[in-house]
This record gives sequence, structure tokens and C-alpha cells, in this order.
Amino acid sequence: MSWNRVAVVGGGLIKFGELFEQSYEQMAAGAFAAAVESVDEGFEPTQVEAAFVATQRGTLWGQEGIGGNTIPSAIGLPGIACTRIENACPSGSDAFRIGAMAVASGVHDVVLVIGVEKMRDKSAEEGLLARAAAGHPIFTRGETAPVLFAPFATRHMHEFGTTREMLASVAVKNHHNGALDPYAHFQNEITIENVINSPAVCSPLHLLDCCPQTDGAAAVLLVSAEIAERYTKNPVWVAGFGVATDHPYLHEKSTFTSMQATEMAAERAYAMAGIGPNDIDCAEVHDCFTITEILDIEDLGFVEKGKGGVASLEGDTSLTGRIPINTSGGLLAKGHPIGATGVAQMVECWWQLRGEAQDRQVATPNGYALQHNVGGRGSGVSVVNILTNKRSPK
Amino acid sequence: MISSINILAVGASGPDWRLDRAEINAGWGSSGGKGQVAVCAPDEDALTLGVQAALRALDASGLQIDIVDGLWWGTSRPPFAEGPSHAIMARAIGLSARSAGALCSGSTHSGMEALFGAADAIGSGTARVALVVVSDALIPGLGTNYETHSGAGAAAVVLVSHGGNATLGARITRTNPYLDRYRGDGETSTRDFYDPRLFREEIFLPSMQEIGEHLSVLDINNWSIPDPDGRLGSTAARQLGVKNLVSDFANTELGDTGAAAALLGGIGSLDVAGSLAIIGTGGGRTSAVEIKAKGPVPGASEVRGDISGGTSVRYTAVARARGQLVGSGETVPMGVPPQSAQFVRGGDEMLTLLGARCVDCGTINTPPSIHPHCISCGGTKFVLEQLSRRGRVHTFVINQTMPAPFVAPLPIAVVDLEDGARIMLQGVGDGSDMEIGMDVELILRRYAHERGVPVYGYKVKAL
Repeated sequence: MSWNRVAVVGGGLIKFGELFEQSYEQMAAGAFAAAVESVDEGFEPTQVEAAFVATQRGTLWGQEGIGGNTIPSAIGLPGIACTRIENACPSGSDAFRIGAMAVASGVHDVVLVIGVEKMRDKSAEEGLLARAAAGHPIFTRGETAPVLFAPFATRHMHEFGTTREMLASVAVKNHHNGALDPYAHFQNEITIENVINSPAVCSPLHLLDCCPQTDGAAAVLLVSAEIAERYTKNPVWVAGFGVATDHPYLHEKSTFTSMQATEMAAERAYAMAGIGPNDIDCAEVHDCFTITEILDIEDLGFVEKGKGGVASLEGDTSLTGRIPINTSGGLLAKGHPIGATGVAQMVECWWQLRGEAQDRQVATPNGYALQHNVGGRGSGVSVVNILTNKRSPK
Repeated sequence: MISSINILAVGASGPDWRLDRAEINAGWGSSGGKGQVAVCAPDEDALTLGVQAALRALDASGLQIDIVDGLWWGTSRPPFAEGPSHAIMARAIGLSARSAGALCSGSTHSGMEALFGAADAIGSGTARVALVVVSDALIPGLGTNYETHSGAGAAAVVLVSHGGNATLGARITRTNPYLDRYRGDGETSTRDFYDPRLFREEIFLPSMQEIGEHLSVLDINNWSIPDPDGRLGSTAARQLGVKNLVSDFANTELGDTGAAAALLGGIGSLDVAGSLAIIGTGGGRTSAVEIKAKGPVPGASEVRGDISGGTSVRYTAVARARGQLVGSGETVPMGVPPQSAQFVRGGDEMLTLLGARCVDCGTINTPPSIHPHCISCGGTKFVLEQLSRRGRVHTFVINQTMPAPFVAPLPIAVVDLEDGARIMLQGVGDGSDMEIGMDVELILRRYAHERGVPVYGYKVKAL
């Protein structure tokens, strides 16, 4: 029996990209306006009682002032309750989960979940790459973001015969989807050869195996189930969620062919929603690198362990495939403005379940969509949220 | 009664890189130049070379490291002008926190001073087992006359009061307050001779002559004679009538290894019975000592192999590694400064390579300071133990894209050690030889150099 105590009644985002011309605050205001605009029966912004804002980079890379008090004034609602959520790459999805709990607790009836991230205000060397020296001074020396994921690719290729073509097929498919998504950072098709011949970033991963650094913002509006019909006749319900952690350093992992945080988060979310992986119609999963999506679709139970590469190459995860993955273009093509990423994934799931995904629309016979992030040091945090358009009987 | 001073075992090491002399000459507009000199890779220095030689000597000795009473280290380039150079080396080798010894520095003569200091400790009975390490990684001034012969290398000797196949005999020191090569306070590279002929005719050859005459009463077969410029060594040998200039091998393979040259040039000949004289010079002092071997000394037969080989690199790479070619951009600092609390808590466990073995389930947690609970079972009782230094690659990457000061390609490997511990560390070299299942060893290297502080840790190297 799905949880369904909270409904998503609005969602929107701004076009992702290198938004040098927009401030953090302008991006937030744009996403909020899009979410307000999307509500079927109209929505008065002052109805927002509390906001949960996901921003990951803030304390690290020059946005030190961004706390819970930044968003209310940026979106024209000074004075509302607002809390910043930081939980690595799943910051946006965890803000969503926490927002849903705030509504379900009965404390708030109307909550805004908003993710905003400025990735490009600093140069690439001072942005994500600066992680080459974060954490334990010896164990993390030289550890840029791809170093946290590429060892999984090396081992997956070794154990299961996964090839660079299989990895590349993930990027090709997500760029195809991104080309259909007006909000995506990249809107061009690429080929397997493009991926394989792109420069090596962190072997075995090459440039087009990696997501870009993207600015962006996304927002959703959550209300309690009891009042959902005031806002829409077509609500989408929060069916379940799960969050899980794993050891932070790679040498503490017992396996490099799955991400155990993802497996545990999925198990908890499926249990809460009362469903299993075969009930999911489509999913937005964390494809920061091509290998990550291959691991995700295995760890979330969509394909057998070790078969993620073959399934991707054979089109099982395409828009017309057995289980469409990352219809929005994913992190690889839509972009990865960290705090906004998970929230934007929720917007895509919301659109799919309402039949509003336009050229990317897939069939949703079961009425379930899944959203997933994994990240942090050593892929040590994962969040899975499941949405449904089926109202469970009380 | 004064004890006899015996050599139980020896060890040697050379750096990863080799530089063609012709490359250096071409850089300064002249042609020609045969052979190569040994040069430290960016993560090597006199300390890492010395640690490697010491571990080889200790391994050959068969002794448990904790019975070594002290470390006597001679180098003209300790990593700190002032600072914990000796303490870092002692702990990296695994010597007890109670060990004694000394750091001898100030000139290339310091190698002989370390040897004599250790010998005196054995002779006086204050030490029963003494470890002598001599190492240098000279940084010649760019364009100096002897740049084409400045090398790097290390030797180590385990001295004992009882046992061992070789014995230290007569020794001699002569002092003259002249100035040869030198490095002023705060200077980073060594200055050239004022006048090479003045040095040769009035300083070097007369010193060798005087020392040689004193040793001539002994029946010496083999000689290790310093060779700062590629010619002076053989000239002195001719003048002394020396037939077996055994230091030729190290001098040809590595170049002038400064404070390490005397021992490094000689210990390879201790693989058979015989008599050896080693001569060290620098800073206005010249010393020699006789070593008599009644049979092969453990480790001696490995010396040649352990200092041979190396990867040929370009002059620009060497200048960058030596800090003589510096990029103009900002570099990304370490996450925490090397003087911080994290290094006070965790510095020793990283140098001594400690793991915490869970008493309940046997899992080794690395490093101990960040694991109050076992990663496998959550247990809280641990036994600290030194990690195995050998293992096998489980998975790896080669990072090609990093901000300064990193230089790509940088291999990073997850390694399963022989004792069951799993560890993730940088690899040595460009990673082109790395593969899953490859057998590797962990060796000490310099990870960073920040605020004048060298930061040491272990790296993975193919066996």
C-alpha cells in the first residue's frame, strides 16, 4: 500500500546551462515562478508556509552566505520558514523527502522544495576539480569527482565484460533524450564514436562519459493529501522514499560492482510504496558518469547485476525500451546543478505521470515513476523517491 | 673494552628518473655528453630514497626493526632546513619511538659523519644495533658545470657489536676550511665551484693524495672514491695507483650522489671477502674508513640491481620536479595544512602504515584514527598492527584532469594487501603498466610540499 499522504501539485525549472548572466537568486525566482505557474487551479505564492532549499556547493565554493534565509527574499516571501538541506549529490532529493515529511507530520500544509546551484561562477579548476584535495590528506590526494566513480567502471568491465561501447551507449541515449528536452543543458545528439574518441578525463572515463558543470534551479510544491484537490484534479502522490548511507572512503567498500547505498535506499523506498522494481514505468537516476547509470539500473533492480551495460547498448532503457531511464536527458545531457538536480528529476517524474512530458512522454501503465541520486564521498549517500498517479484507497 | 664494529647487512636505492647529459647540454647551447644522471621524480627526495635503502638493509639483516637502537642519517639535503627530518625518517622506517641517533648534514661529508657517529655508538656500547642511512638528491644550480653529473641515491648499513661478515677498521679525517660547492642559507640549489681547476689542483687531488697515503699501509683491494664531475674520481684513482675503483658502477649509473657516494660506491663490493676503502669529501673535510669483509655481506649482491634502471625524462620535467620551473597559476592547497591537528593525530599512523584490526571480526580498518567503530561489524576493540607492504590491485583509475599542482597522468589504485586490508593510494609513474590483479608494493613517497612542509605517504608501485 503506497504511502500517499503528500501530493505534488506543481513543479517547474529553468533552462539549465552555463547561466553566467543569472544570479543564484534570479535562478531561484525563475524556478519558483515556473512551479507556481504550473498549478492547474492556480496558486497564490503566499500560501507557501515553509521552504526547504537544496544547495550543495554553498559552503565550499564562494556562496558561503547561502543559508535558510537566502531563498525567501529571493522569491518574494520574506519571513517564511526556510531551511537549507545539504546532503551531497542527493541534496535535492533529500530536500524533497524532508519536505514531504514536514507536510505528513501535519506541521505544514503547503511546502516549497527548491534546489538551486551555481556551478560555473568559479573556474573549472576551482570548482568540482578542487575536490582533488578534499577529505583525508593522503587517501583523497588527487581525487577529483570522476575518481569516485571510475574505479567502479574498471572493475565492472573486468568482472562482467562491460565495454566502453556499452558505457558510451548511456551517454548517446541521454543526449538523444536531452535533445527533446527544452530545459536540458545540451540539446544535441552524439554517437558512440564521439564518446569513445573524446579526451580521457579519468581512465576509463572520457569527457562524454561525464556530466557537465551546469547552473540551474528547480522547484516543486507539496501539499497534504487532504487539500490536494484544491490545486489540481490530476495530483501525483508521494508513494515512498528511502535514504541510506555507506562508508565514505573507497578503500572501505567491499564491492566495486554495485553501490550499496543505492541498494539499501531502493529497498526502503520500495517497501514504503508497497511495490517492486517491476512496477516502475520510468525512472530518473543519477548518471553523473555513464558507469553510474549502469550501476543504478542494476542496483535499483531494473536489470540483473552485471547486465546493465548490455541492457543499455540494446536499448532497454531508451524512450521506447522496456524501462525508460532518464527521459529528461539525465545529468549527462540535462546537466547536474547539484542541489537542483534531484528536484528537477522530480519535476520530470511529475510530468511523465501527468502525461505532460511532450516528445519524451513514455507509457505509464503502472502509474509509478522513480527518482534516484547517489553521491557524496565514496558514493556514500543515496536517496530514492517514488511518485505515483494512483490514489490508493483509504 | 671497546667493541668491534661490524656490518650485518647493507641496502641501496636509486631514484625513478634518468636524464641524458646531452639533454642538459642542449639546454645550454652546447652539444655532446654521454650517459645519464639519476634524478628524483617529483615525489622522491633524500628522505624517501633513504627509507627505501634502509628497509632493504633491514630486510637483508633479518632483524626485527624494533631492536634497532638508533638511526644515524647523513645527507646534505634533509627535507627541512629546520624541522622533523630525522623523526619522520625514523618513524617511516618503523624504528621505535625510543630510538636514538643523529642527523648529520651541512655538506656531502655528512655521510661519513653519520657512519662514524653510529660506529662510535656501537664502539662505546651505547648502541648494539645502529642503522646508518646516507642519501642525497642534489639540486645543482641551472647551467652549472657539474649539473651533468649531479645525481641522487641512497645507501644503508646495519652496524652491530656482534656478528656480521664485515668489520670497520682504520679511519682518518682531514680538515681544511676551504669553500668548494656550497648552498647559502635559504638558497634552493647548490652553487658551482668558483674555479674548477683551483678545486682540482689545490683542494680535491691533494686531499685524496693525503688520505690515500695513510691508507697505503693497509692492504686494500677495492676503493670507493668521490667523483663530483665525472673525471676527478678516475684521476685521483690513477694518482693513487688504485686498480679496483668499485665506485665506478654507482657513479656511472647514478652520477655524484653527494653524501651517499662513499658508502653507495663501496657496499656493492662486499658481496665477496675482501678489503675496501671508502672516501667521502665535502665542506672542507675528507674522511676515509677501511672495511674488511671475511665473507659476503647480506644485501651486497642486490646493490647493483637496486640502483639500476629508471625512466628517461626530459630536462623540463626534471626542472619542474626540482622546483626550478614553476607554473604561474595558483595551486590548489591541501585540504588541511600539514601543521594541523589532523596531522598531529594522523601523521604517525600514515608514516608507520598502521591498521586497526578488529578483535571481533578480524577486519583491518585504515587508518585507525578515523575508525572508532569497525567498518564491517561495528566493533570497538582493535589491535594496532603494521600493514603488509605488498598486495594486489583490485581496481584502479588513471586521472588525466586535475588542477595544479597535480601532474597528469596520475594512477590511483585500490589494493588488497596480503594481510587482508584494503587501501586506496596513488600509484608511482604514469600508470601505463597498471592492471587488475597486478602484484604491487607500497613505498614511501612525498605527496605534497606546502608551506615548506613535505608531506609523506605511501604509494603503489609494481613489483
